[in-house]
Amino acid sequence: MKARLHIDGVGFAAPGLPTAEALRGHLEGAPFAPEAEWKPMPASLARRQALRLSEATRVAIMAAEQIAAALPADCPWVFASSTGEGGTLNEILLALRSDPIMIQPLRFQNAVHNAAQGNWSIAAANKGAMTSVAAYDATPGIGFLKAAMQALTDDRPVGLVVFDAPMPPPLHDKRPFGLAMAAAFALSPRRGPESLAALDLAVVADEEATAPSVSGADPRLADNGNPVRMLLPLLRRIHRPEDGAILLDLPGSHALRITVSGCRDG
Amino acid sequence: MTRTAHLPPLDELAITARVAVSCIGHGRDAHVEAMSSGRSGLTPCDFPGAAIPCWIGQVSGIEQGAFPRGLAAYDNRATRIALAGLEADGFAARVAAAIARWGSDRVGIVIGTSTSGVEKLEQVYRRWSGDGPLDPAYSLRHHNDHHAVTAFLAEHLGIAGVGYTVSTACSSAAKALIDGAQLVRLGLCDAVLTGGVDSLCLTSLYGFEGLELLSRAPCRPFDVRREGLSIGEGAGFLLIEREGDGPRLLGYGETSDAVSMSTPPPDGAGAQAAMREALARGGLAAAEIGFVKLHGTGTRTNDAAEAAAVAAVFPHVPPAASLKGMIGHTLGAAGAVEAVLCLDAMEAGVVPGTVGLDQPDPTLAIAPGARPSTGEIRRAICNAFGFGGSNSALLFGLA
Repeated sequence: MKARLHIDGVGFAAPGLPTAEALRGHLEGAPFAPEAEWKPMPASLARRQALRLSEATRVAIMAAEQIAAALPADCPWVFASSTGEGGTLNEILLALRSDPIMIQPLRFQNAVHNAAQGNWSIAAANKGAMTSVAAYDATPGIGFLKAAMQALTDDRPVGLVVFDAPMPPPLHDKRPFGLAMAAAFALSPRRGPESLAALDLAVVADEEATAPSVSGADPRLADNGNPVRMLLPLLRRIHRPEDGAILLDLPGSHALRITVSGCRDG
Repeated sequence: MTRTAHLPPLDELAITARVAVSCIGHGRDAHVEAMSSGRSGLTPCDFPGAAIPCWIGQVSGIEQGAFPRGLAAYDNRATRIALAGLEADGFAARVAAAIARWGSDRVGIVIGTSTSGVEKLEQVYRRWSGDGPLDPAYSLRHHNDHHAVTAFLAEHLGIAGVGYTVSTACSSAAKALIDGAQLVRLGLCDAVLTGGVDSLCLTSLYGFEGLELLSRAPCRPFDVRREGLSIGEGAGFLLIEREGDGPRLLGYGETSDAVSMSTPPPDGAGAQAAMREALARGGLAAAEIGFVKLHGTGTRTNDAAEAAAVAAVFPHVPPAASLKGMIGHTLGAAGAVEAVLCLDAMEAGVVPGTVGLDQPDPTLAIAPGARPSTGEIRRAICNAFGFGGSNSALLFGLA
């Protein structure tokens, strides 16, 4: 598959960097200064409602709402996460150790991998096609691939959110992430007046993924185990086109090659 | 002209092989017999650790037996159910033939699952001291990670093409088929193993018990006395190829309710939209559909909403049935297991009934068939809905 998609909006959320603008500032030299106790708080949810949701869902929705204005109502969205609601699952697994066993209904219905997707569809009143995908460390590449397939099959824009959050102990040690992170992209098969960059995507034979450190991001972002970190080089290049492609891992013997070109200079 | 016009039409793709495993049995013959006779495979719950007076649909014959050498790290209940699927009806050999025909890197895999291998992690937590690290032998990557069962299947079968996992609760496996078709139409793969796997686990049993949705009797979809669902487990696989013989996926629809994580709107608006989209993609009118395989979980609200949706889409409602009284709700696998059963019924000339349905609820907008019959179904819609307001409808046709 060779495909061209345009980026009409970018979102980002992580401790100390609550917006894509904040990330851009950091990648251009501003220091990374995360709060010790950061609670992601989406603007599209009432605070009480938000606090019933996991950190993973909240950080995903924070990134999603930054790109919503760049997308049509009821357009498809793809959510990609490796561990999804691992934190909520941990609470259920702890409850299974007690006697008698009681699992809170709200906790159970929000333990599904697509909790972020479902809660976002409710917050955004979006009745379109939405999905949630996972592929361990290759989750960011698969997120882009699925979003591209969705955009090309029906020739329409699509929202993509890639997110993961640290799980609490004792599950944390089994897949440690340093920070919660989410990145979102408004993607369209057609160039529009607001397009920031064009992406040429190609599925190629397996090659090593582009190291997140080339983005220049602080090691706490670029080297924290969270699969979202693999998107940092792409996030940098959207605003500062440079030569050379970015590679994301795909499962199997393939990689996703993304070449970025600017739209602002024609 | 839109770009989509350059893609091969959906109905050029063929479902060249398929298989299902459930509490009814392994493979086609057992399921056709049960659909013909109206037999249920549900049994009183004796799942270890589950003290709930409900009924379950448990796959038999998976605990014993060798696990593939070299892949022991993946050994859990979900991967054993998946293996049982590969072994039934010679399905693994059909995948091998596709790999030989197209090349391993041109064969992809998309599997839907809700809980993956979490059943193994439950045991690890229950044995854990409550302090310090979990059992160091436990590997998240090989068990409860959402991608674990997909990774196991790819490794075991030698699939080297693009692969990933769809996890949208109980619509997961239906959506995996849609993804498989997209991968082939866009030229990323020549064949894709799609489907779903989910195992019984305490998380699902106690989770639905917490929601007060587990029926004390074997579930009775659309019955006036229905009081909830019976949880099952299973695997359903469908091999989609660029060309070949077999039934067709003629259309599909995917929508979101956008009102609640767990309860559909009373008119089933999202379900209606999904079925209408499937018809539109297939270029078919409602009158051309011979059967609706209902999602039909057996809960008060879900069945009422789905009945309203089907009545709204079909001016003359065709024969319709839920299969969950027979096999239980196989959750993330349901969209594939029930699609396979629907295709098996179509090819065998069976019109399934709704096992467990005794007195149709007169307040519902439709009365699904209770008893099986014989008859020809050329085209059918298969519904699968999930938490998160995730709706899917698949439209199948016999070639």
